[in-house]
This record gives sequence, C-alpha cells and structure tokens, in this order.
Amino acid sequence: MASEMQNSNPTILNAADLPTRLRPTSSNKLGLFGKGLFAPTLLAAEGTGLPFTDSYSSADSDSDGDLLEEPIDEQEIYDLVSTISDPEHPISLGALAVVSLPDISIRPTLPNVPASPLRTVTVLITPTITHCSLATVIGLGVRVRLEQSLPPRFRMDVRIKEGTHSTANEVNKQLADKERVAAALENGTLMAVIAKMLETCQ
Amino acid sequence: MSALQTFLLVVDHDRQEAMQIAERVAQDVENKTTTLIEVVQSLVEYINDEDPILRGKAVSYLTAVIKALPPKFLSRQQVQVLTTFFCDRIEDGGAVAGLDTLQKLDRFNKDLAEEVARAIFEHFQELQARSQSQRFQVYQLLNELMSNHRSALYDMGDESLNGIVDLMTGEKDPRNLMLVFSILKVVMMEWDVSNYAELLFDSVYNYFPITFRPPPNDPYGITSQDLKDRLQDCISSTSQFAPHAFPALLEKLDSTSPNVKRDALNALIACINSYDPDTVSKYSITIWDTLKFEVLNAQEEFLSEMSLQALQSIAKRLSEGVTQITDQLPLAHYMRPIAKECNEQLQEPQQKQAKPAQQILSYMSAASVASFTLAVQAVVAPLLTIYQEADGIAKQRALLDTLVVLFESAIIVFGEWTTRTPEMNAENPLFEFKDQFSDMFGQALMGVVKEEVSFRVSALKGLLRLSTLRNFFQDNEVGLFVQYLDEILLKEESVGRDDLKKEAISALAEISKHKPKLIMDITFPAFVATLPDFDDGTGSKYLTTLEILAQISVEKDIFDTLVRRLLSKLNILLQKEQPGSAEYPKAILVTILYVMSQRKMDQDSNLELYYNKIVVELSRNVAACASGKAKNSILNDPSLLDILGRLHNLIVRSLPRDKQDEIAKNIYTLYCTEDEFAPVPFSQTANDDQQRTMIVSTYLLAGLPTDCAFLPYTRPNMSGLLSDTTKRTVTNCEPATHIALLRHMALLVNKFLVKSELNIATDIFNTLLPQQAGEVTLSPETIMTLFWLSKALVLRLAPKTTDILTSLLSLLSSTDEVTSTTAARGFSILLRDDDVLSPTNGANIRLLAKQRVFTTLVPLISSRIREVNIAGSDTPTPQYIKPAHLTALSGILATISPALVMPELPTLLPLLLQSLDLQTSDSQAVRAATLETLAVIIRDNGVGVIEECGHVQSLVSRLLKTTEFKPTSGNSAPVNSQRLRVDALKCLFLLAQTPSADAPAVAKSGKLSPLLPVKSQVLRSLRFVLDDPKRDVRKAAVDARGAWLRGVDDAPDDEE
Repeated sequence: MASEMQNSNPTILNAADLPTRLRPTSSNKLGLFGKGLFAPTLLAAEGTGLPFTDSYSSADSDSDGDLLEEPIDEQEIYDLVSTISDPEHPISLGALAVVSLPDISIRPTLPNVPASPLRTVTVLITPTITHCSLATVIGLGVRVRLEQSLPPRFRMDVRIKEGTHSTANEVNKQLADKERVAAALENGTLMAVIAKMLETCQ
Repeated sequence: MSALQTFLLVVDHDRQEAMQIAERVAQDVENKTTTLIEVVQSLVEYINDEDPILRGKAVSYLTAVIKALPPKFLSRQQVQVLTTFFCDRIEDGGAVAGLDTLQKLDRFNKDLAEEVARAIFEHFQELQARSQSQRFQVYQLLNELMSNHRSALYDMGDESLNGIVDLMTGEKDPRNLMLVFSILKVVMMEWDVSNYAELLFDSVYNYFPITFRPPPNDPYGITSQDLKDRLQDCISSTSQFAPHAFPALLEKLDSTSPNVKRDALNALIACINSYDPDTVSKYSITIWDTLKFEVLNAQEEFLSEMSLQALQSIAKRLSEGVTQITDQLPLAHYMRPIAKECNEQLQEPQQKQAKPAQQILSYMSAASVASFTLAVQAVVAPLLTIYQEADGIAKQRALLDTLVVLFESAIIVFGEWTTRTPEMNAENPLFEFKDQFSDMFGQALMGVVKEEVSFRVSALKGLLRLSTLRNFFQDNEVGLFVQYLDEILLKEESVGRDDLKKEAISALAEISKHKPKLIMDITFPAFVATLPDFDDGTGSKYLTTLEILAQISVEKDIFDTLVRRLLSKLNILLQKEQPGSAEYPKAILVTILYVMSQRKMDQDSNLELYYNKIVVELSRNVAACASGKAKNSILNDPSLLDILGRLHNLIVRSLPRDKQDEIAKNIYTLYCTEDEFAPVPFSQTANDDQQRTMIVSTYLLAGLPTDCAFLPYTRPNMSGLLSDTTKRTVTNCEPATHIALLRHMALLVNKFLVKSELNIATDIFNTLLPQQAGEVTLSPETIMTLFWLSKALVLRLAPKTTDILTSLLSLLSSTDEVTSTTAARGFSILLRDDDVLSPTNGANIRLLAKQRVFTTLVPLISSRIREVNIAGSDTPTPQYIKPAHLTALSGILATISPALVMPELPTLLPLLLQSLDLQTSDSQAVRAATLETLAVIIRDNGVGVIEECGHVQSLVSRLLKTTEFKPTSGNSAPVNSQRLRVDALKCLFLLAQTPSADAPAVAKSGKLSPLLPVKSQVLRSLRFVLDDPKRDVRKAAVDARGAWLRGVDDAPDDEE
C-alpha cells in the first residue's frame, strides 16, 4: 500500500465522547439496590440459600424480555463499523470520525410495500482528508463488515459523504458497482488489508 | 619405568591413574626422597622432542606434580624458576595450567605476573589457534592475574592493553567471550585508555548486536542476555568511548529489526547513565534528534517507551548538582529544542501527534526538579494562550489533559501530602500559575453545560492532582474543590453513564487519604444531612448517599464516624413506632457491612465497641422483636436479619478468644435471660418470629472457632441438638429460616462434630432416607435436608462418602416424579460454594472432595443413562428419569472446576450432547449449565479435544439448533431463551476463535481445520441468527460469524 502516510496527523475524538448505547440496566446503576457498589455483598446475601427457586427463575425473567423486540437501529450499525481500524493508523474509524452516527440511516427498501422486511442501510463516509486515496479501501471495509454482520434482508449502500472528497463520484461509482466490488474482494492483497482493518472489531 | 614414562603412557586413557602417579611423585618431593630439580631434569629427553603432543604431555606432568604439592612447599626461588620455565614453554600444552597453579601461590610476585602476562601476549597467535577449552584456560589465567595481580598488569600500561586486545581478537565462543568482556571491562575502567579508546571500543563493539542463541539443553547455561549485559557493561564503561559509542548506537536505530533497536536503546540508556554528565551533554541534542523520530512515529510501543526513558535519563544526568536554574545550563540547552517540538505539536492538542508530545513532556518533566521547572517555564504559558484562543471544547479538553500530565510529573517530583520523603527546598514552578489553574479548572468543571462529561472529567482530574500535590493548594482551596464534588454528587442529575459522578466519588476517596479533616468537615455533614430518619416511601435517594459515604470512608477516622452515625440512625429507627419500610435499615446495615469488610477488622482498635454496640445490643433487639416486645417489627424482616448476621459473623471472626467464648454461650439466648427470650432449640412452641432468630444464631455459630468448647447443648454429645435441628428442617417453614436451619445443621456436622461421633450424622441420614429409595416419596424439605447433610459430610470426606452419594443418586430413579426432579436439582447444592459453610468460616473442606464427588457420580450417571437409552420400549422407564440425571450432572458440573472435567471428557461429552437435545423450555437451566461447561472446555483446550472424541459435527449442529429463535404463541416460554442463544453462540465463537496449541504445526503439515467440513453450514445458519429479535444475540452472532470467517481457513488454493 501507500508507503508515505497520506495524513500523518489526524484529529482524534476521545473514546468517551463517541456515541454509545445506554443500557436500561446500567443507566440507573447508582440508585438501584443490588446493581451498584453493594451488589457483591447483596448478591451473596440474596442469591445463595434457596437452590430450588433461584437460577430456575431466570427462565421467567428471560421470557419476559423475549417478548420485547429490539430492532436493528442506527446505533447498532454504528457499533458494527466504528471499531474497524483505519488502514493508516491503529485508530478506529469512530475515533477518526470517518463514520459518525448521524451519517447512518436505515430505510425500508420498498417504501411502497409496507409489509416488506427489506431494509437499506446507508453509511456515509467522511475521509480525514479530501484527497485520501484510501477512501475506497475504507468504503470496501465498511461494506464487507456489514455484509458479514447483517441478515440477508438488508441492502448496503456505502458512499462518500458529499463534499468531503475530491473524487467522491469516482469512489462512489466503484463502491456501488457490484461487479467491481466482487472483483476487488478476489484480490488477495486488498483482502489482507481489509482483514487487518476488521481485526479490531469487537 | 620411571614415573614420568608411566604418566605419559596412561595420561591419555586414564586421567585418574595419571593424577595418582603425579601425587606420588609430589609426595616423594615433599618427603625429600627426590627433588624438584630431578623431576624437571627427568623431562629433558621429552621436552625437546619434535612431537608437540609429547612435549605437551611432559609439561603436563610437571604441572600435575606441582598441583599436587602443598601450597606453601615451593620456595620463592623455585616458584621463579618454574614460572620462567613454563613461560618459555607456554606454547606447549599444560604450561598454562601450570602457571595458573603457580600464580595462586603466596610466593608468586608482581614481577612474575608481569613475566607471565608478557609470555601470553608474545605468543598470542599460537594461543588463538588453540581449541576452545585451551583458549578458555588462557583467558582464565589472565582473569586470575587480573584479580590477583592487577597492579602488575596495570603497570605494563599500553603493553597489556594491546596484548589483551590482540589476544581476544577473533574470539567467537560465548563462554570465552563472557570472560573476555569482564577482563576488558577492567582495562576500560582502570587503564589510561585515552590513546586507545577507539581500538578498545571497536574490539568489543564488533560483537554488537549479539545474535547468539544458546543451543537447546545448553549445559553451560549462558544466555544471550548474559552476553548482552556484559557487552553493554563494556560499551558503557568509560566516557572516552562516547565519540564512538553514541554515533554507532544511534546508527543502529536505523535497523529494521525491533530486537536490534531494543539492544541499541538499552546500551544507549546504560551509556547515558554511566558516562559523566559533561560527555552526555555534548551528545544530548544529537540523541534527541534521533530519538524524537522513534517517539513521534512509534513503530512499537516498547521502542517508544525505551526512547522516552533514554531522553529522561539524559535529563536526570544533566540535572545532577544543579542548584540554580539558568538559561546557560547544559540541561537548559538540551530542553530547549524538546520544549519547542512539544509546543509545536501541542498547537493542535486533539490531533494524533499531540499524544507523543504529551508523553515526551511527561517523561522530561518528571526527571528532576530542574527539568520540571524548565518544562513548566517553556510550555505552560503557551498552553494557557492556546486555551484562551481555543475554538472548541475538544481542543480545550486536550489541553487540560496535557496540563494534567504536568501535574502528575509534579507529584512525582514534589510528592503528595502523604509522601514520607523529606520535602524539597526548591520552589514549585507551578505556584506562579496557581490561581489561573484554580480558576480555569474550576470553570471547566462547574461552568460548562452538564453534558460535556469528558471535558469535566478532565477538569476534575486536574483539580484532584493539584489537591493531592504536596504543599500546593491551601486547605481552603482543596475545600472548594471538595464542595464542587459534593455539589456534583448531591445536586446534579445523572448524565449518561455517570462517569463524572464515579470520578467524583473516587476523587473524594482519594482526598480523604490526604486531607481527612476536610472530608469530615465538609462532605460528611452534607451527606449525612440528606439521610432521612425513616423511609417515608417518597423515593428518597438514601441509597446513593450511603453508597458514596461507604466509598469515601477509607480513612480510619472517617470510617469510625460513619459507623457511629449510622448506628445511631439505626437505633432511632428501632425506637420508632412507625419506622417505614425495612429497606432503609437494611441499607444502613449493608453499608456498615461493606465498610467493615473493606478493612482489616482484627486490627481495629474499636473492635470491642463494635462488639458491644452491634453484636450484643442488636442481638438483644432481635430477641425482643421475636418475642413481640419491641416497638416495631423491623428486626423480624428475614433479609434484614441475614445482613445483620453477616455483620455479626464478620465481627465474631475478628474478636479475641475470650469474647468468642462469651458469644458461644449466647448463640441461642442472644444475650437474654430465660424470662426475656426462650432459645429456639428444644422449644416446642417457637413461632415463626422466634424461629427466625436462628438466622442470626447460624451466623454467630459460623464465626466461632472449630475447637470452641462452650457450645450449648453439646454435652455429652451433639445428637440431641442435631436431631432437634433436623426435625425443624424437615418441616415446612419460611424459606429464609429454612435455609438458616439447614446451614446450622451443616455447620454442626461439618465443623463441630468430632470424627468419632460422625455416626450420629450418618444415622440421621439413614433415618431420613430408607434403603428402598425407589419406592418412596419424600417431601422437598426432607430432600433438601438430605442434600445439606450430605454436603456437610462429603466436604469433610467422611468415611461413608461413596455410600451417601450412591443413595442420593438412587433418589433420581424414584417412582415419584416430584421426588426425582427435586432430588436432581439438589445435586447442585452438594459442591456449591456457600457463604456460611465456607473456608473463611473455618469449614472443614478437604481438597479432594470435589474430585471425589465427580469421579464417583459421573460413571454412575453415565451408565444409568445408557441403560435408559438402551431399554427403549421393552421395559419403559418413566420419561423424567433421563432429564433428571442430566440435571443432576449439570448441577455438579456447574460447581466444579473444569480442570477436573478434562480426564473424563470422552465419557462426559456424549452426556453433554444429550443435554443439549432436551429441546424443552423447562430444561433451560440444564442446557445453560452444559453450555457453560462446554465453553470452558473449548476455551481452555480448543477444538482439538472435541475432535479427538469425534463429536465436532454433532456438537456444532446441536449448538446451531440452540441458537435458533422460535417464536412461541401465547405465554409459554420459548424453547431457547435469550441467554441460551447467546451462550450457544459464544461456544461457536470459541470453537473458531481458540487456536489449538499446535496450530502453526498443523498449518504447516497441511492438515485442514477440523471445523472446515461444517464451515458453510455454520455460516449459512448464522446468517439467519443475525436477524434475531434480541440485540445481544445478534451481537454474539456477529462475533461468532466473524470468527468462523476469519479463523477457519479454507482449503489452500492449488496455486499456493
């Protein structure tokens, strides 16, 4: 790949400032009995003795939760792609603001057919500099990650965000072209780079 | 034949015999039957022989004789003659050894040493050509001369220096090099090397970097690190090497190998630390220019860190002896370009390069007071300017972080309030900016919108550092910060993950170590004031407050005050007619329990007081409550009693023996007289409230030592007490009381029953469980009693352990379904870690108990299941028998360490797979335990063990089946709960993720992954799991699928 770094000094967002999902259980952890500091003390106090009721009741609480569906949303897509590392730096795309939550959207693929489960995920990529030749590689990486991680009823649409790249049209054409994407994925060197980028995905 | 001739004949094949001959001759010399001259003369015909081997042997003969003589025997003259003789003959074998013997003698003098050294140097070419072991002898001789007659060599000056260098040139053997390096180091450090610095330096630097790798099973035990260390000692031995060493080492940093770079950096650091400061100063800027690159463009973390260490070492060396800080100091010259670089990089502090700049700043400023002062002078003012002009909060935050780095260095240099080292006289250069910092960080912490959490956290960290920095803030300034923290904790709403509040709490805890008085005066009253008198149900936040109080009560004084305040709150509650919910007193007790468990109570000076206030008084209150004589019924709450019991238990364990004896007498009476409260044991009329006091009694009992002699009702033996307790456990009562009674019984049997009376316990067991177990129906209470009793006996490996286990297992085949399934679940009791019957409480738990249970039960369960499987429809066994056995198995598996499982894996794996086949919703627990065991097995051993048993395909398809989400109609629970789906996915993930130990070897041999045949099946199935309605399941599926895509390689393509 490029021997010279194209952007050796990008701005980095703080990990704590990146958007994350607030779990309903963790949001009130200071106030709730048994979820906070005293949890170990209390757990020991309440869990132990009654082997005929505990741990078998867990099934009940589970089934309660099972009724509640959690659809795939933008945050989940963000979590999937933000941990990909940049091919130039050992820093995540999220921290470099290459992908950001507002630039991800999920829409029904066929708006005229409300019953259709098909969805289209759009991810807009913001390269760190406007002439970054690695934009295509990053786009491919995001695409591969989504294809590996989303169910078949999802369509991917990965594009460069308007006005952030000098040859955005060129790159977009390449990313949208199924044939060219498939051809690129046959390329061993390219796949090795992408595999390296995806290594950090948790 | 003369002695010499015999010697020459045997020396090659029998060394011992040859030595004996020499010893005999030596004795003759000693007894004056022959003289040394005669011995030497006898050599004449051989030492002029043409054959060097023969000459060598002849000289060895003389050496052997001398060696055998007593050390004081030879006269000064003889020594001299012999030395000259050996020196003349030094090219002959044996002479070196002879010289070595001679130089050890007292009569060997400086002149002779010089003669020997000269002889060696003159013949260096012949000596170099010798074999390794003979060269080793020469070096050893030289080394001995160096340690015994150094002045002789020293006075030879250049001659010895050149001689040694000539001698060692071309040496390659690591054993010899070890010696050579240590000889050379002496020369380098003590000789005048000014004219030969380059020669000497090159003679050792030729060996850099060391690439030697010891052969396997190396008998000499020389590692490459040993050689590296000695070489490094040589390179760093004298400042005169600096003109050669620094450029050469810095050049090595261009190498592509991280190991070479590591060696170069290590040597560089060694040189910096040992050369004199003036020399280091001369090269400091050059070194910085090179190392800068290593830090700013770090390839490897450790290289960057070592470079930083090298830079810091320079700063430390240049600070030596500095008292007055001026621009003209070498240190100032050195720091100038560094500060400039940092300032440039920190212009945009949120960018990537700012991080290394921060690190440089951190290392440089932490080196010494002088370097800290220079760093502060150079960077703080520019940083403050950037801060004023900063356009975004991200940038400001990065600047705060940079300042925090400086504050941390300040702490390293000047110490914290609690640091014991003597105080620095130097003034802290940060004082100049104190008010600015205080305003700036205070503003950042309290004056921005609440959502800027990470920004405020940075500000908080800065203020915390300044507050703990020794002699920096005044108490009122720290106090202001403490007030900020109180405000954040008490008044602010939660934001996001509450990072700020968490930081605030730990900051208060930290400050309490340094300034406990401030916490006592400011924080404590503010927080205690928010605690209500009773829980009026208006959703008071007392729990948060208690949690915070518990965390900041680290210091003894604060802890003490907290416990007193909480106890008085509790006493007020106990006196109230309408005390509100029991949750509040419970929370108070939990808080006390928490803070006490964080401390070493047995060293607490107030222990006695706590005993009286908590154990004695509260126990009395419990008794009063149980007999209905109290103002309210708070202490009738079972979970409250449980917490109180734990608190008692903690205190009892820490008390001295005489107090423990006092407690033993009061276990059941709870410090009351007969009239006030009737003890539960043997009472026919105890109601539920009274029985509940057994919770407290049990915890008291658990805390007592095993050999306690004052337990009530144990004379002449325990049978009465035990059968009374058992009678209560088999009758239906409140769950909390029931478990307390069961534990009570288990404690008595496991901990206090003496070995000779174990039959009392086994008798009870046999009474409860009739021999014909297949026919009986037992109540759940009886079954639980049986299992707890067995637990107590099995853990101490009582003689009847195997019988007991077998009887319990037979319960599973009972004709009564309820008995069978209840007993099946009971197996998880046997080995589960219990809080009361625990090692901390001195329970009698033998190391092999778990293994015993496992190895006894698993084969039985396995064969029983096989029976059921084979029996088929001919002799139908009830449906529930097989699941019951699998449940029992899962109960045992969940409570033993996986290491025990491994040897039994071939037997076990089919059983585990059958457990996964139980596709019913009420088998969730069994399957969950199975998946957990499987996950551990796979994680620790990889897929290999599964493959060895030949179950990869069947395991994978069962796991995949468990990942499926099947919507259910109505309210019935789904077959695979969310947890099961996640666990199954985790197993799949681990299968592909965990590399087997010999992975590379397998890859080389071309063997394919055992998972390959199922790869496409897994990938296809998981694609649908990606659409699971639950997020956690989808996440696990993504990970698992990723692992299979990455970790399971396809068959290699043909062209590769």
